[in-house]
Amino acid sequence: MYQQIIAAIIIVFFIIRLVSLKRSKNLNTNEFVFWLIFWILAGIAVAFLKQIDQLVAKMGFSSSGINFLLYIAVIVLFYLIFRLRLRIFKLDKALTKLVRDIALNNKKD
Amino acid sequence: MKIICIIAAYNEEKKIANTLDDVKKYLDNIVVVDDGSRDNTVKVAREKGVTVIEHKINRGQGAALETGNTYALKHQADIVVHFDADGQFLAKEIKDIIKPIKAGYDVTFGSRFLDKKSQVPFTKRNIIMPLAKLINLVFFNVRTSDPQNGFRALNVKALETIKIENDRMAHCSEILAKTRKYKLKYKEIPVTVLYAEFGQKFNSGFKILSDLFVNKLTK
Repeated sequence: MYQQIIAAIIIVFFIIRLVSLKRSKNLNTNEFVFWLIFWILAGIAVAFLKQIDQLVAKMGFSSSGINFLLYIAVIVLFYLIFRLRLRIFKLDKALTKLVRDIALNNKKD
Repeated sequence: MKIICIIAAYNEEKKIANTLDDVKKYLDNIVVVDDGSRDNTVKVAREKGVTVIEHKINRGQGAALETGNTYALKHQADIVVHFDADGQFLAKEIKDIIKPIKAGYDVTFGSRFLDKKSQVPFTKRNIIMPLAKLINLVFFNVRTSDPQNGFRALNVKALETIKIENDRMAHCSEILAKTRKYKLKYKEIPVTVLYAEFGQKFNSGFKILSDLFVNKLTK
């Protein structure tokens, strides 16, 4: 119970932070929607921890619901890092193109 | 026939003067692409009277060579020679690398393993290069005796077809792979590689592999 309350407080904190970032226009709509859905899903998962416990047991796993959420969190984190890496790679390419164009434009003879 | 020699350089103030003096004996058109050097590479190259293109920040050897290729195409080059700034290659072998292009080949690759002139260090000859060859064969279906040699020549057709997308060292494998992919006619010729304390280290092989992999994913 206490764990759930602490988790809920953390989630509410992140949602408030998200809304304030959106209001101050430091976050675009896509990112806002993505993270809002992410934290709402996290909230639902925490709220239904007991049911997840039962579900995990029904599926034949010996681990508890909170462990299950932890596994999911690690998978999500890996996926986000992967996306981030691809994004950095694309930015890297754009940067190279920019550097090349500037270099060639400065050498117009 | 307009032949342009492209030399990508990064912090090579100590060696580039000698390299340029050597290359000038064989070619008139030399383009140094300075890849964001923090030393006096640009100044030294300018004093030698060659064309210097400057990357404002370091983007890697592959990126610098592609900048040089773009410049060469814009300036109606018929043949482009890629040459290292650090004095690893012999300028007198430029004529050998150009010869097959004049005879109708699209790309010529230099190879340090086709004869015994290069004193290749033991680990490089027996571990690093065989692994690199295996990777090139498995992933790109490319069979060459030297998978990581920066001494090469390309004609206009090859320049227009091969756009180097790997900014860093993976460009060597990329050029080989694209030569095969676009069915360009290529030839390997023996070249001498002089070894001092430069060249790629073992862990750079993993970096090359990782770059090639991520580049495939972002397509």
